[in-house]
Amino acid sequence: MRSSLKSSKPSGHPAVVCRSVTKRFYHYDHRTTSLRERFIRTVLRRPLHVRHAEFSLEDFDLEVEAGEAVALIGPNGSGKSTVLRLIAGIYAPTQGVVETRGRIAAIIELGVGFNPELTGAENVRLYAAVMGLSRVELAARFDEIVAFADLGHFIDEPVKYYSSGMQARLAFSVAVCVDPDILLVDEVLAVGDQEFRRRCVERLEAFHARGGTLLVVTHDLESVASLCSRAVWVEHGRIRADGPGHEVLAAYQASA
Amino acid sequence: MSATPSPSRAVPTDRSGLRLISSSTRRPPLREVWAYRELLRSLVVRNLKVKYQRSVLGFVWTLLNPILTITVLTVVFTYFIKIRVDHYWAFVFSGYFVWNFILQMLSSATYMLAEHAPLRRSVAFPSVVLVLATAASRMVEFLIEMVIALLLLAIFHHHGLPAPLILLPLLILLQLLLAIGLTMPIATLSVFYSDVQHAMPIVLLMLFYLSPVFYPASLVPESLRTLYLLNPIAALLTLYHDVLYAGQWPPAWLFASVSLTAVLVCVLGYAIFDRYNALFAEIL
Repeated sequence: MRSSLKSSKPSGHPAVVCRSVTKRFYHYDHRTTSLRERFIRTVLRRPLHVRHAEFSLEDFDLEVEAGEAVALIGPNGSGKSTVLRLIAGIYAPTQGVVETRGRIAAIIELGVGFNPELTGAENVRLYAAVMGLSRVELAARFDEIVAFADLGHFIDEPVKYYSSGMQARLAFSVAVCVDPDILLVDEVLAVGDQEFRRRCVERLEAFHARGGTLLVVTHDLESVASLCSRAVWVEHGRIRADGPGHEVLAAYQASA
Repeated sequence: MSATPSPSRAVPTDRSGLRLISSSTRRPPLREVWAYRELLRSLVVRNLKVKYQRSVLGFVWTLLNPILTITVLTVVFTYFIKIRVDHYWAFVFSGYFVWNFILQMLSSATYMLAEHAPLRRSVAFPSVVLVLATAASRMVEFLIEMVIALLLLAIFHHHGLPAPLILLPLLILLQLLLAIGLTMPIATLSVFYSDVQHAMPIVLLMLFYLSPVFYPASLVPESLRTLYLLNPIAALLTLYHDVLYAGQWPPAWLFASVSLTAVLVCVLGYAIFDRYNALFAEIL
């Protein structure tokens, strides 16, 4: 079952296009990771890897217009985060094409890839650099990032001493402040207190109002219902439904 | 917004660019690295900072290791094992820092990708930047060491500046290409096989004895020398000895063969690295 109700957003350039994207992951019952074993197995003509496809995203089609806000919903393990990683270019698709237009920031697994040994400030600098911000651009935004994350003197402590809430705050803050065109947010709203969640949603609204493209993976449907005019319901690596936020949401909740 | 797509697998910093993820189309590697120059700069600054900010003696530590090694080698091979090399200290000085650079690059190859694994799992960027950042920060140290070595050699060994020294920038370029080219496949292999980090110290120890670090290549029997010089590190060190220690123009065939090997190793190394690059985020 797949309904293809299109959202009513005006169509410009698509910001994200996934065309028949397939991504397969394998579960390895046996995986050779030492050269000695590799040698022995080669000599004995035993297979190097014994694997079966554990999870896959099959024939996934998605087009997101610039300026759209889309929520990805679905049960755990349905492939939502994989979709974000493919769009961010972190994973390469097994088959198919992913096209994106503009700078992408992704908050995946509650972080943006912080190195636990580095301080918050060092991580912010590294992240800004990998996003292509110059020193001058970062200097102008640094105070804003720290203020939003609300970390106080912890900004100069290694990230390994941060609580998960603090990490999420800093990740969210830095990802929004590098001024992306496309923002991918994976479950960041699940941590942090009520106050932080409210400020996050405010920030996402402001980002969307400026014309940013937004993809949010969430289980907390209420908090994004007002924001996302469109929702995509993903299950077992396929799109179950794609259409106006409240309709898809109602259908999803009815099935669950 | 630009209507022409610029196909590539990485995120362009150019805001209007269209990113295409497919196996067939992509930007040439040098342009890709140029797009990430800010990351490169940031990593180099951080590498050097981490190394020096918390130690009082700072750069002296970096220098102390090779200086002590050179001193011990000089004592051993001048007084215990009498090697027939004039100004033996000058001979060791003209190659040791080069060896040290390559040694450090190759031994850090086993962990340089793992070090930034969290970032690689959250942001798409070309991992080759991590290799280049290590090379660049080591290069900064090497250049300082080289200036010191050059001063000592000019004052106490050559009593002047022999003309072949103008080849030095070229030699340094070859050294860089060779080190990067060898580092990339080792880094790739260590993502998939944990043996590599156990094997590397052994390999490097062998290379130390099989390269002219503390003895000149001329001591290798004539019949074995061609075979011996097939090791590109040995050939490179021999070039350094010709130029820095002997103050002579090196043989053109040796220079040409080292250049060819360095470029070949670099291209091949990058091809291997690039082939598995897409998997790094999934495995690391």
